[in-house]
Amino acid sequence: MSTIKTERRKLDLSLLWKVFGTAFFVYLFFGFMLLPCLNTLTQIFKANPEDPLAVIKFFFVGNMPSFVWNSLKLALALVVTVNVVGVSIVLLTEYFEIKGAKILRLGYMTTLIYSGVALVTGYLFLYDSDGIVTKWMASAFPEFNKNWFSGFYAVWFTMTFACTSNHALFLRNAIRNIDYNTVEAARNMGAGPFKVLLKVVFPTLIPTMFSLTVMTFITGLCAMSAPTLLGYDSINPEIVRLAGSAVTDEAFPQARAALLSVILALFTIVLLTVLSSYERKGHYLSVSKTKAKLVKQKINNPVMNVLAHIYAYVLWIIYMTPVVMIVLFAFQNYEAIKKKVLSFDAFTFVNFFGTQDYNYTNGRKSLIREDAISGVFSNDRTIAGIRTSFVLSALAAALACVIVVIAVNYIFKNKKKLSSTVLEYSLLFPWLLPTILICYSYRTFFNSNEIWYVFNQNLYYKDNVRLLIIIAYAVVKLPFALRMIKAAFYAIDEELEDAARNLGASGWMTFVKVKLPIILPSVLAVFALNFNALFTEYDMGATFQSSNGTTYAMVIQSMTHDEGIGGWNINATGRRNASTVFIMLVSGLILYLVYGVGARDLSERLEARDRRRRWLQKITSRLRPRKPQPEPHMRS
Amino acid sequence: MIELKNIVVKFGDFEALHNINVEVREGEFFTFLGPSGCGKTTTLRTITGFIEPVEGLVYVNNVDITHVPIEKRNIGIVFQSYALFPTMTVYDNIAFGLKVKKLKKSEIDARVRAIAAKVDLSDEQLQKAVSQLSGGQQQRVAIARALVTGPAIICMDEPLSNLDAKLRVQLRNELKKMQKDFGITTIYVTHDQEEALTLSDRIAVFNKGYIEQIGTPNEIYNHSATEFVCNFIGDINWIEPQLAQTMGLAEGKNHFIRLERLRVNQPQREQEIILDGTVESREYYGLYIKYYINVGSQVLKVIEKNDGVNIYEAGQAVKVGLGLADVMSYDAAAQAE
Repeated sequence: MSTIKTERRKLDLSLLWKVFGTAFFVYLFFGFMLLPCLNTLTQIFKANPEDPLAVIKFFFVGNMPSFVWNSLKLALALVVTVNVVGVSIVLLTEYFEIKGAKILRLGYMTTLIYSGVALVTGYLFLYDSDGIVTKWMASAFPEFNKNWFSGFYAVWFTMTFACTSNHALFLRNAIRNIDYNTVEAARNMGAGPFKVLLKVVFPTLIPTMFSLTVMTFITGLCAMSAPTLLGYDSINPEIVRLAGSAVTDEAFPQARAALLSVILALFTIVLLTVLSSYERKGHYLSVSKTKAKLVKQKINNPVMNVLAHIYAYVLWIIYMTPVVMIVLFAFQNYEAIKKKVLSFDAFTFVNFFGTQDYNYTNGRKSLIREDAISGVFSNDRTIAGIRTSFVLSALAAALACVIVVIAVNYIFKNKKKLSSTVLEYSLLFPWLLPTILICYSYRTFFNSNEIWYVFNQNLYYKDNVRLLIIIAYAVVKLPFALRMIKAAFYAIDEELEDAARNLGASGWMTFVKVKLPIILPSVLAVFALNFNALFTEYDMGATFQSSNGTTYAMVIQSMTHDEGIGGWNINATGRRNASTVFIMLVSGLILYLVYGVGARDLSERLEARDRRRRWLQKITSRLRPRKPQPEPHMRS
Repeated sequence: MIELKNIVVKFGDFEALHNINVEVREGEFFTFLGPSGCGKTTTLRTITGFIEPVEGLVYVNNVDITHVPIEKRNIGIVFQSYALFPTMTVYDNIAFGLKVKKLKKSEIDARVRAIAAKVDLSDEQLQKAVSQLSGGQQQRVAIARALVTGPAIICMDEPLSNLDAKLRVQLRNELKKMQKDFGITTIYVTHDQEEALTLSDRIAVFNKGYIEQIGTPNEIYNHSATEFVCNFIGDINWIEPQLAQTMGLAEGKNHFIRLERLRVNQPQREQEIILDGTVESREYYGLYIKYYINVGSQVLKVIEKNDGVNIYEAGQAVKVGLGLADVMSYDAAAQAE
């Protein structure tokens, strides 16, 4: 009897879980993905009640096509240069024998630890009208245009080097996975190193290259921080501008922002459809049973070899100069940064901690503003930005992980059911939408007291916006989390679950004790990577543009504004550099934790524990007072 | 002990098991043998509860367990991959089932250490990660984990298939010894005939979801019930019709003779036919030598013990003896079906 009761209780619980789970995912999909975006779509046709097509007509007569064209131009240009630079850095460090490859690789990979606004401000530090390189050029050529670093070419140049992170990760993996025996076979049949590269190596890289090309195109199309900071009229900055504009200033600003968002979404959907249909065709897989590790190829032609080395180090200088300069100037005082001259005497930590007085003259007399020069961690506005970004990013990254882990567990348990397919596609849905569209849709849709399913609360009002940002962050990161965590679930041997059940574990216990510990490193990695990306993300924060949700990246962006002589925005460049150093440290630490510590399996962790224990024993045995030795007996 | 009655298992429209009937005795080492996809693992999973049959009943000690949940069947399993939890130490792996049963910590410890000692795992090994152990040690952990909860039956699904040949033979012997020591009823799944013959008390040979024969290794090998069993177990010579006619064997049947039953250059015995042949080639195995001998109408494979003296060269004329009593005959029509 009691067994029947227990079974019934179990059944009730599982039914409850199913109902709750279904309700939650339906709520998430319709409430925070579909309805807000549909609302954006309808805005286009509702702007003028007399003519539903008014906004579209306005689009063609106004200057809006130029924003679309500018974005397309940037995307196309980036596809060429990012691929050229991306392929170059991978070949130079992984395929060809180039001296100092390890150092070169470190330089090329700096974009992994600083990107977005932080990276663009780094480039600005060198190349803007007051930048180091511009100053050098101006002193060498007095006629040199100090405002040279702006507009299309500046954005193109900056993004070319900023967007090679994916190449550095994925193309590197692809090239390292090449079976060296195929290279040897081609060499054996008389092919030279470049012929082998062209005919044997490149064809195996094509699928990865194709994916990277599509991703680069989308990145170019959706570019935000570089065009905003470097002044280039592309789609995203225009959406943000229009979203904040009033009807009294210009015609249909919100509806035009919506139209631009939808255009961006259409481009993204088409490109991702092309990409996924291509991916479905399959990849070139090595058929070797025993794969040989790739051996670096020596460039035999001495001229080519020298040219390759020169090219490698020129690229390295381009990558490294902003990083080195930012790090060095992060520890220089206000005057040194102003003059862009490094000096040991100017060494200071004030850009990080503490404050200093600011002396200035207003033309008539010398004035002092007390504590006007402040460091990152002593400046209220910067601290607030860091705190906001930290909390919002951590909560959103955790939320995305929890949602995805629960969903993927269900998907794997119900592989052949329609419900699991629907769930998977609904979580991938945000991938089709540009982040700007999602954020813009949230901003307009939830800026109302009439949305019943959020209890008629205006989520864009005051502090509520933080909740809205968390949801937006989480929703945007769902597809990435799904792909990564799903891959981790694939690594779980199905027999493990059977074994746990056979040993008497319930479904919940099997999940907590067996499956979760296996996928935990991947889940933590996804959490860390998402946190890392969100902590310094600019695009979404800028789209929400709320004083109650000012993120760290927005604060950094504001540091690029001119410094006023009255003390306004004083030491912004110093804090900007210190912020970049701080971001690099945080990102570096996260990458180390994810790929260094997190990737260790149990045996490696146990070995590390043993090492620690032995080391402790050694220390304690040295510290322990020695027992007095008995005096030796004298021999007679 | 275990009884499967008229078991039918379907995956969608595909019928994987057709009316399976097996009875396993207490303490017996019983093997399900057959090629891939024949239904042996499906039968095992039906016993362990991972698969529910659409028809038929599963009994253990005369109790119907057909619809009893997996965790309540009291059947231990050693999986093909061992399914050791990679995030747990050896100790935690073995203790898992006991922790699920919420036993006292001291009892768990005592039982884990006792079973570890029985399967020859040291205290030091208990604290290691499973990935730090060799294949053989991992197998012992899997067995210890399956046995520690005190199951009435243990099921093993190709537990030696992931190991190299030498280790497989070594562990096969250890496995047999452990089974005898524990005296536990064991169901063993394999596609390896040699493994089945050396380990088992009895064997069920599966083919396409049916059981072709149940019997002792000797019955299966020397008195194969069907042509499939005869062909599946070990290497065999098919006696082609012309030679069968020469030997006076019945028409309309397929005739087979095992390689080791043929004799080379030996005096003729009763009920034996001697054929003139020429050695075409030979394969040297050390312990024995395999000859391919052309007897005119066909090439026969023959295994001769390597005595170091009577070794025949290719092209050498020899006499091959075929005992009529050693011929296994099956209806040709039955095979065609």
